[in-house]
Amino acid sequence: MINWANFISQCFNGLVLGALLALISSGLTIIYGTLGVLNLAHGAMFMLGGYAGWLAYSYTGSYLAAVVAGSLFVMVVGVVMERLIIRHFYTRPQEDQLLVTFGLVIVFVEAVRFFFGSMSQTLPPPAPLVGITNLGFMIYPTYRLALLGIVAVALLVLYFVLYRTRIGMIVRAGIEDSGMVDSLGIDVYRIFMLVFGIGAMAAGFAGVVNAPVVSIAPDVGEAILVQTFVVVVIGGVGSFPGAIIGGLIAGEIISITSMFNPGYSYIMLFVAMTLVLVIRPHGLLGQAGRE
Amino acid sequence: MRITRPYLIELITALALILAPFVLPHLGFSPSTINRILIWGLFGLGFDILFGYTGLLSFGQSAFYGTGGMFAAYLLTEAGFDHVMVAIILGAVVAGVVGYFIGLIALRRTGIYFAMITVAIAEVFFFVEFNPLSAFTGGENGLPGVPTPTFNLGFTVLKFNTDWSMYGFLAFWYFVGIVIALRIVRSPVGAILSAIRDNPRRAEALGHNIHGYKLTAFVVAAIYAGFAGGLLGVMQGFMPPDAFMFDTSGQLVMQTAIGGAGTLFGPLLGATVWLYLSDFFQNTLHLGATWKLVLGIVFVLLVCFLRRGIVGAMVDLYALAAGGGNEEPAGASAGSPPFDPAAIEPMPPRRRGDAPASGPILRAQGLSKRYGGIVANSDIDFTVDHGEIRGIIGPNGAGKSTFFKMLTCEVAPTSGQITFEGRDITGMDVSAVCQLGLTKSYQINQLFDRLTVRRNLTIAALGETRGRFRLDLFKNLHGVPGLDEQVERTAALVNLTARLDRPVSELPYGEKRRLEIGLALATSPSLLLLDEPLAGMSPRERVETVALLKSIARGRTMIIIDHDMDSLFELVGKVTVLQEGRVLVEGMPAEIRTNAKVQEAYLGGVHGEMA
Amino acid sequence: MPLDDKDTANISRRTVLHAGAAVLGGAFLPGFSVAAFADDKPAIGTWPAGSAGDTVYIGAAVPLTGAYALQGADELKGWQLAVEHINNGHDLMKAMAPKVDKGLLGKKVELLSADSAAKPNQAVEVEQNYINQNKIILMTGSTSSAVAVALNKFAQREKVLYVAGISGSNDTTGKDCVRYGFRQNLFGQTSAAAIGPVLLKQFGKNKKAAFMTPDYTYGHTVTKSVNDYLTSEGGWEMVTNQISPLGTQDFSQYLTNIANSGAEFLINVNWGRDAVLSSQQAKQFGLLPNMKLVIPYQIPFLAKEVGPEITEGVFAATDFWWTQEDQYPLAKQFVEAFQAKFGYRPEWGAENSYVSFAHWARMVSEAGSFYPPDIIKQYEKGETIPSLLGDVHYRPEDHQCIRPVVIVRGKAKKDMKNDEDFWEVLEVVPGEGLMQKPDAFGCQLGDYL
Repeated sequence: MINWANFISQCFNGLVLGALLALISSGLTIIYGTLGVLNLAHGAMFMLGGYAGWLAYSYTGSYLAAVVAGSLFVMVVGVVMERLIIRHFYTRPQEDQLLVTFGLVIVFVEAVRFFFGSMSQTLPPPAPLVGITNLGFMIYPTYRLALLGIVAVALLVLYFVLYRTRIGMIVRAGIEDSGMVDSLGIDVYRIFMLVFGIGAMAAGFAGVVNAPVVSIAPDVGEAILVQTFVVVVIGGVGSFPGAIIGGLIAGEIISITSMFNPGYSYIMLFVAMTLVLVIRPHGLLGQAGRE
Repeated sequence: MRITRPYLIELITALALILAPFVLPHLGFSPSTINRILIWGLFGLGFDILFGYTGLLSFGQSAFYGTGGMFAAYLLTEAGFDHVMVAIILGAVVAGVVGYFIGLIALRRTGIYFAMITVAIAEVFFFVEFNPLSAFTGGENGLPGVPTPTFNLGFTVLKFNTDWSMYGFLAFWYFVGIVIALRIVRSPVGAILSAIRDNPRRAEALGHNIHGYKLTAFVVAAIYAGFAGGLLGVMQGFMPPDAFMFDTSGQLVMQTAIGGAGTLFGPLLGATVWLYLSDFFQNTLHLGATWKLVLGIVFVLLVCFLRRGIVGAMVDLYALAAGGGNEEPAGASAGSPPFDPAAIEPMPPRRRGDAPASGPILRAQGLSKRYGGIVANSDIDFTVDHGEIRGIIGPNGAGKSTFFKMLTCEVAPTSGQITFEGRDITGMDVSAVCQLGLTKSYQINQLFDRLTVRRNLTIAALGETRGRFRLDLFKNLHGVPGLDEQVERTAALVNLTARLDRPVSELPYGEKRRLEIGLALATSPSLLLLDEPLAGMSPRERVETVALLKSIARGRTMIIIDHDMDSLFELVGKVTVLQEGRVLVEGMPAEIRTNAKVQEAYLGGVHGEMA
Repeated sequence: MPLDDKDTANISRRTVLHAGAAVLGGAFLPGFSVAAFADDKPAIGTWPAGSAGDTVYIGAAVPLTGAYALQGADELKGWQLAVEHINNGHDLMKAMAPKVDKGLLGKKVELLSADSAAKPNQAVEVEQNYINQNKIILMTGSTSSAVAVALNKFAQREKVLYVAGISGSNDTTGKDCVRYGFRQNLFGQTSAAAIGPVLLKQFGKNKKAAFMTPDYTYGHTVTKSVNDYLTSEGGWEMVTNQISPLGTQDFSQYLTNIANSGAEFLINVNWGRDAVLSSQQAKQFGLLPNMKLVIPYQIPFLAKEVGPEITEGVFAATDFWWTQEDQYPLAKQFVEAFQAKFGYRPEWGAENSYVSFAHWARMVSEAGSFYPPDIIKQYEKGETIPSLLGDVHYRPEDHQCIRPVVIVRGKAKKDMKNDEDFWEVLEVVPGEGLMQKPDAFGCQLGDYL
């Protein structure tokens, strides 16, 4: 089944998946870059976004309300998590940060299971985006096409925030040199809280907009987390452009491999990661000395 | 807590293992639970060496646990091999070999990168076990029918086919495991591993091939994991595919954190708590699916409030209970004993090779360093003769520290060549250069904060006595010839003898500063670079340190950067002045003092006598 | 650092050996307190200790977290109801196990359960614990064949009976069958043999089918069973077989391949959440309803999760569907009792749980003994016994229950009479004709003792 039409469709699949991974990974990477904390509960943020969106949808029936509620809720969760827990770990060893966020994964997943059960839930796409679009050379689910646009817009917004606002400047300065922000006399804690919230929101937003594609369940975030790691390692930790390129590469590897043998698509992904590590240990766009 | 009795820990462990079957059942532990705790504990011994001692947090241990277990189980079931112990050991060896190759990839990075890579590797192993290798591993069904061990001793046959006899079998191997692990952490390698955890860069700068030692820890952990995996299959007669799952690694990490990392017994204790609570929540409290939520909350709270796990908390409690009785008298800890320069016994450098002890010891030619567009050093020519004491001064940003980093090979020059004792060392590894006899004390203290002064100096001295890499895993640290003498001599030299058994984190700044010099000195360098040795010291400390440096200088070449020119000029023969990454001028202190260019550099053109 | 210390001598090998021997010696002492036994019935497994008191225990290792938590919770309810009915001598229980009388052989039955997360290792851990602490006389649990196979082997090793929960693999009563394990429910081979003729009857010969197969033994065996039947009997063609790893979230790549394959039928062998996601996404990609979806091995709650928009017109083979209450009085009793207690109509996981316990209770009470070999021999008589769907029997050669397979077709939303009326029962295919020969999958039951 290796023909032209199939190849193009698979590339498209890779693009959609890759864009989504890019969005989630950029959240992970800016948090790490600024705060120096690898949030293992980032996948859980993705999951929480889906659930919050679904809940909002079931009360309002509005997709837009779901997206807004999902993103905001996860941002709040991120901010609260930073204030209550993560903040106390800045001065502790990196391993402790990994441990506590790892524990939080269990808490989030099982809390959702406790409240909403194990049954998967579906968030339908908005009415105009239901169905299939014929692009001439191939047919494709309309919502997935739209998803590509939605995620692209989200990435643009994130780009704008990072590169065109004062907060973004500070965040990027922090990624370049963690000492610099302190010396500028900026209230770092407020910035950190905000960054954590924005990073979590990126995952939460991705969780809501992906819910019409992959129905939500308590453990939906776990699989995505491992892929996110691979993206970040390929792209380079702390690099926003790296996350985007890494995401797209990962998406295309998964999709194109599966054209030949789907069973090996994840193995190929890890092979790619290993190659990057051997050739460019700091990732494609990462800088040395940040780990 | 210092245990001076030999084998006390081994003895207590043996006693506890013997008593456990009489005590634990009364606390609600079933024999099979106790057996599982032992397997987790054994699995965790290796992991603790990797995580607790070396500071490498791996989320991929399931790969080795599964590999070792599956290999042994395959031999014992499908391949018809019938020596249980041999199969388990072979499984551990295979896990070790696999660990070696995985380590080559994963250890390219540290910190969170390392953690993420190990997660990914564990996932790959699970995929491979599940699909491509399912003909060997049974895919999702695993390998049932693993036999229990039987040993024919000639006069009797030992069978381990009941839960309690299996306990005896597992307890024996746990004991062997802990004895080996204790030897490893007490060996020179163990000392270096803890140095890597605290400050990998300094460990490397002291002449240790840290990559080799990290790989060693990784392989040791893989072997322990593989061995424990083999025992799991034998214990329950079934090698499960979920041994390969990420959850297995996660559970190990959590148990170790609960019990306390860096204690060897932490994983065992953590497993005890974990298995007990999961049973208690489900079968006593009947929480149903909520058990995991509650356990998760408990874990998060433990990580937040019990920083060093249960074992750590017990050690703290013990220290608290022991009270002030063990504390030194207040007067003694207030300051160092008076410093008597005359009493200092000089410490000559070790002679390495047969290079002539005269003429230039170090020569840099055309040395330049660029960071992106910024030029830190450009075209520096610099020569130091044997026995010389050279001072380097220059305003802030003159590129002095970068220059030093290039000389010690911490950073590679963009262009230029460095020759040390007639050998071209450009582009060599910092640890190799240290082995040649060139090392540096740092501007900002680079110590092993969580270790004692003695341990700090030991780690430095080990580089000199053992070379870059040696696998003396089972050698007693104190059996290394000349090591203790070297440590004590260095301690006396830097006047820290009274502080030998203090953790570095408790030392006042001045003493840390002396230890910083002591670390460099303990490697017996023939060329010692000192980057602002007097920085941050009180006037009295400066006087003492200058005296110290003078005595160190006997028979040794030194290059000193400092801003305190009065002290510096008292020490050195010749002075090199750097400005904006170039050599401005070179000459005797008196010349430098009055040199117009130097004054201009420092005072921005205002002439006058320099302070 | 407690270990940051100074040793004065080397440890000798002898010290290690002595300490080790002491450990071994000490360990043999406790634990040998098994009660005295009758001459003809040596103590075995948890017998007689397990049935010495007023209460006998059953241990269930059931997934409450992880991918199969939903099905696991449903199964657990079936077991709970069965145990309750054994203890209060409910009519339904007595219809299937007449000698049950407010308990079993004068003893109360208690169900213990713990989370297995659908992992074989955790399941074995849970059961091993129950055997040790509660001397359970029966094990159950699984929603995955990996757990069923592991517990099968464990049952044989420990000589404690095991009745399988949901387990679809041919291996459970095939190559991995054991003397101490029994399975009530349908499996890959029987569901393939049952749904095949229905498909041929409905759609005729020479069709093109795309398969979606989860990449593990269960998936491969079911795909093979279904495909073998359709190709040999109906001349169907497998145009593609998309094999996806367990736990796949995004099936777009596989569905794209199928969309380009020219298939008319989509035969989805995925299970649990994989089946939910792959079916939903097939709809998104427009494969459904253009292709006919066939689910050879029905998943409890599938229709509830994906909705009737997707299950409408779908063919599936299953163990039980609650609307069969109209034809089978026992089924009606069961559905009513279950709904009264738990507030929803049971899926087939709960049905299998209930019936397998009822059958076990029947065997125990008929044998008049908790001695495992007696119970096994009672099963192996192969007597015709009632189930919720009429008479069934256990095959002595492989311990598989010969029971009917239910073929259902998804209803359109407008035809649903209530919010759980997802399927209409097309056919109830008798079990005898569906079964492979007892030795076809290499079953060797093993010993009684």
